Amino acid sequence: MSMSAPSGGSSLNNDMNVTPMIDVLLVLLIIFMMIIPMSRKAIDTQLPDPTPQPPSTQVNPDQIVLEVLPDDKYAVNKEPIEKAMLLEKLKAIYDPRPEKIIFVKGDTTVKYSAVIWAMDQARGAGVKVIGVPPK
Amino acid sequence: MGMTVSGGGVKAEPNVTPMIDVMLVLLIIFMITIPQINAGFTAVPPEGQNLKPHPEEEGDQVLGIDDQGRYYLNKNRIRNEDLEALVGEIYLKEREDYIMYVKAHKDLEYVKVVDALDRISRSGVRVAALITDQTPNTESLVQSDRIMPGSK
Repeated sequence: MSMSAPSGGSSLNNDMNVTPMIDVLLVLLIIFMMIIPMSRKAIDTQLPDPTPQPPSTQVNPDQIVLEVLPDDKYAVNKEPIEKAMLLEKLKAIYDPRPEKIIFVKGDTTVKYSAVIWAMDQARGAGVKVIGVPPK
Repeated sequence: MGMTVSGGGVKAEPNVTPMIDVMLVLLIIFMITIPQINAGFTAVPPEGQNLKPHPEEEGDQVLGIDDQGRYYLNKNRIRNEDLEALVGEIYLKEREDYIMYVKAHKDLEYVKVVDALDRISRSGVRVAALITDQTPNTESLVQSDRIMPGSK
């Protein structure tokens, strides 16, 4: 206790008061903890060109269409595929392919989250561009 | 000045500066968060793993679709039939980008989402960024997603 007694002439307290600084730093920490989950994430999709195209859009034999069917079923170019196998299948398709384009088509009854899951898998398999065909 | 040096007590008045600091910061936090909480639009986006980071920026346009299929443009409720007109006002002119963020509820039927995408595509939107939450404890498999653009 004797050490805390004021010793110098004019300065009453020699050690720096860090309490306000710690308070502010802690609050900043809390702010950043709140902001970081707010950094938004998304899946980019290309929308169809609205200008009505002549029906001569020949079905490009090379394009990959991933269909999301009811009851958690999926199909790649009309070929049914199991949910668990989808990522591997897409990887096998896209690893050697230079164009990383996929069209993801959802059945009318499926849930939005199922389609997002499919797009997510496609991105995981290396797809760069996801197209949404019109209804 | 002479009044503070009295007897044994070095400083008699409590130091309120830290308290004021904390209070001011709390005030700022509440000022920022309360409008977002009270905005009325609540949608739980689906979860995914391989997502592209899109830090929020000034001028971003967000189309919200809640669990009832109602549309919100930048958190303001709009009538569903006004969607094309209102979005067209924003996108059918010179812009830096033609990207629109779509925050839709995860349990919506996909038809309702495609319907909205179809309609905004007619209003000049070229890219729809479907807002998705990162599944906790996962990381994107895509290399380029891991570099957070705009992170300070």
